[in-house]
Amino acid sequence: MRPAPAEGEAVLVERAKDGDQGAFEELVRRHAERLYAVVLRFVADSDEAQEVTQEAFLRAWRSIARFEGRSQFFTWLYRIGINEAKRRAARRPAVPVISLEDEPVPEAPDWSEAPETRSAQADLRRALEQAIRSLPVEYGATVILRDVEGLSTAEAAEVMNLGQAAFKSRLHRARLAVRRALDQYFMEGGR
Amino acid sequence: MIRRLLERRRFMREHRWTHEHLSAYLDEDLDREGRGRVEEHVGLCPQCRRVLATLRRTLGALRELGAPRPPDLEDGIVKRLRDQG
Repeated sequence: MRPAPAEGEAVLVERAKDGDQGAFEELVRRHAERLYAVVLRFVADSDEAQEVTQEAFLRAWRSIARFEGRSQFFTWLYRIGINEAKRRAARRPAVPVISLEDEPVPEAPDWSEAPETRSAQADLRRALEQAIRSLPVEYGATVILRDVEGLSTAEAAEVMNLGQAAFKSRLHRARLAVRRALDQYFMEGGR
Repeated sequence: MIRRLLERRRFMREHRWTHEHLSAYLDEDLDREGRGRVEEHVGLCPQCRRVLATLRRTLGALRELGAPRPPDLEDGIVKRLRDQG
């Protein structure tokens, strides 16, 4: 039986822990889309992101009895998904990693007011996706969780298993690296 | 001469501090004094002003970076769960 949508998450988790697959399927329906959006940023394409999302839920289902409820279900789930994406990334040939040193690029233009035509937006989006994929996963994940997915600092730090101060420091370095990659993008004429 | 040297040293100290706290500034995670420090330095330093403006734009673009979802995402997961019994 499919649980009513309004059913509380904690109740669903408890039922899933007792082996109720219907309750777990409701958790799938609540969280699959956002988990997919997170892992998509670390893998090659949509097909692989779908595989990783499926694998993460299967792992979660197999180990839900060990979920102690000290964190929210979705932060636990995201951690499983990111670890799975990391495992996949490690199996791929190494890609160039962008520097986390934020050395100034004095000749870079101020692109903060650059026009936002539709094609410019699409190009900028590709440049951003490329920059995130070029970060080490543990840095890229901070930007994805906090800035793209809109988790709070506390939630995102919990997913990453970091204290909030360490998370903020890593997030800042990752943001600066992405910003600097966009410096390069705009210096090359924005394409 | 000494005064100029001290001013330069102070400027560089504020430059490093500001650079380290730009994210916190944009996240409104600084207290009033911290915000004042960033704003004062950014007013004096074109480089930090540019980094702050472009970092703000970067965060705005990241927030709009949605992902189209596959139409059968949840069904695919549920099917695999059921297949595995």
